[in-house]
Amino acid sequence: MSDQDSNEQHGFHRHGDNAFVAEFSEPEREVLINLVEQIIELLGERTDNHVDDPLAAMVGITTHDSPPEDEVLLRLLPNAYADQVDAAEFRRYTESTLRAKKYAHSMSMRITLKSAIDGIIEVDHDGANDWLGAMNDIRLALGVRLKVEQTSHEELELLAPDDPMRGVYAVYSWLGWLQESLIVALMDEAI
Amino acid sequence: MVKVDDKIEEAIKEIFSSEKPWITIVWDDPVNLMTYVTYVLMELFGYSREKAHELMMKVHTEGKAVVSTGSREEMEHDVARLHEFGLWATLQRGDQAI
Repeated sequence: MSDQDSNEQHGFHRHGDNAFVAEFSEPEREVLINLVEQIIELLGERTDNHVDDPLAAMVGITTHDSPPEDEVLLRLLPNAYADQVDAAEFRRYTESTLRAKKYAHSMSMRITLKSAIDGIIEVDHDGANDWLGAMNDIRLALGVRLKVEQTSHEELELLAPDDPMRGVYAVYSWLGWLQESLIVALMDEAI
Repeated sequence: MVKVDDKIEEAIKEIFSSEKPWITIVWDDPVNLMTYVTYVLMELFGYSREKAHELMMKVHTEGKAVVSTGSREEMEHDVARLHEFGLWATLQRGDQAI
């Protein structure tokens, strides 16, 4: 896990009982839309292939019982069991529901961003949870690409200015800070 | 009638019960924020901030923590919800080595 310094001025703030507000510059809003749309697209790549069995389609059983080959998708849709047989069985019955839930989080975040007026967005508690889930999926995806697992924060801070991963790391860090500001606002008792 | 004490009765009950206790484990992950893990545990399981924080610290320092116990079906439900929020979770029988 990582710790995040949240002593900054912007990010999310609580407004009253059940409203969380943030203001984004146009470039920030565009980056967020772009990232969340990439997650939506990625989740859509793993489509179900059960047209031949309408009953299976109806109850959400997929033909997927092996884990995704793509590293990012595997992190978003992980195995529930260490045992491969149990993991495959669980995946067959639950993966499409998990994908639908993640898709819903991302779509909710996208709609809020698309309907922002003057860069200001407002979400309620449920909307905030959608945002947290969606932002976390983006960070998990970026984390895989940045190899956060094998690389220290110090190494990532020292990436060369012309290394494309430097920009990715900046976005990753900013998202962590934004996510933290929303959690702090949510955990802050309503006055 | 034979007098059976509570402990023995409980042990016998467990032998005949089809629902042996299962556990949900959350594993450490370099991406998930510490506050996020705490928040998700509070939100999904209704844990107090203190209990959620304690479990998060266990994940952070020991690499893993058992966050819930119950029937296999309940633990599958818990793991699915943790996956929905991006935590790295698995379930297994409570008597298996972690």
